[in-house]
Amino acid sequence: MTFINYVAREINCKIVYYGPGLCGKTTNLQYVYQITSAENKGKLISLATETERTLFFDFLPIDFGDIRGFKTRFHLYTVPGQVFYDSSRKLILKGADGVVFVADSQEERFDANLESLDNLKENLREQGADILALPYVLQLNKRDLPSAMAAEELTRVLRVRDEPVFESVAVRGDGVLPTLKAIARQVLVELRKNGA
Amino acid sequence: MAFSLVDDSGASVEPSTFDLHESEFRRIEAILSRVRGEVRAELALLVSRSGQAVAAAGAAEGVDDTALASLATAALAASDGLARLVGEDGFPALAHQGVRRSVFISDLMRRYALVLVFDAAVSAGLVRYKCKRAALLVEDVLRGRRRAGEGPAAPGGLKFSDDELEALLGE
Repeated sequence: MTFINYVAREINCKIVYYGPGLCGKTTNLQYVYQITSAENKGKLISLATETERTLFFDFLPIDFGDIRGFKTRFHLYTVPGQVFYDSSRKLILKGADGVVFVADSQEERFDANLESLDNLKENLREQGADILALPYVLQLNKRDLPSAMAAEELTRVLRVRDEPVFESVAVRGDGVLPTLKAIARQVLVELRKNGA
Repeated sequence: MAFSLVDDSGASVEPSTFDLHESEFRRIEAILSRVRGEVRAELALLVSRSGQAVAAAGAAEGVDDTALASLATAALAASDGLARLVGEDGFPALAHQGVRRSVFISDLMRRYALVLVFDAAVSAGLVRYKCKRAALLVEDVLRGRRRAGEGPAAPGGLKFSDDELEALLGE
């Protein structure tokens, strides 16, 4: 759900990072938090278990700057990747303006990627949204690991339409910002198209 | 000027586009301001159920409105799940009692929530009563606007060019 506050001249958009457990969603947000200057970011909130697995969500608001005198603010959320937290994922997806699917490139996580992607499609469908129409980016994470599958093969299987695909090593920050900018661009283009 | 709310959840009862004009925005601000005064709250906040702050009155020292909106919505969402688990349609309000400060969250049309941060010494019953009344008034503004069937505010201020977009998102 995009909020445009014409009184405060702010655009507020919600982006959700989706993907299987331990694929690097939280790491994406942590990197964005690290490299964003203090005046352009809010608090990074992590509702995590004692073992630092995401329990409910991570949340990070960041400002991208102004466009036409409007401050553009993106609210970044992650979902808990573990299968049994599906109710939480549905709640967090509510009102999402764009989704980043973070895939784990390791061969042993291939089926987890497929399961999570199916889960995303289903949860979007339940909310009346369509993965084929929503601003959407695919990120292939953990490209540095020895068991990483070929990017072409992952892309062939996981790409759902003509969405941008980025290879990343989120712990080093590689590919994190291009992914974020790509989803932000799509969200803003969609906003312009809808005649806000 | 207007406050515009665009929602893409087509399956729900929510419209795909929802615009709140400045006059309505100001009326909501006035309601928040009044309830804040009535219960001596530091902050009264209207948030959307997607986690974003819509309007506010006051400020709570050291409290980040954006984070509060997100967490309050999450708490309400978790409460909805809990309600379903025990066979309820939902719990209309949540009270978090603290030592110095308390937080009261009241559902509004299942699309918004009213959040009050107030001194823990203030009676929770008073807060519940006043908040319920304020929620009805805010709901009236929102429903009244929907009944009127007004079109989008169409401020025309966001027709940015590709170059402007590149300038924003470029290196």
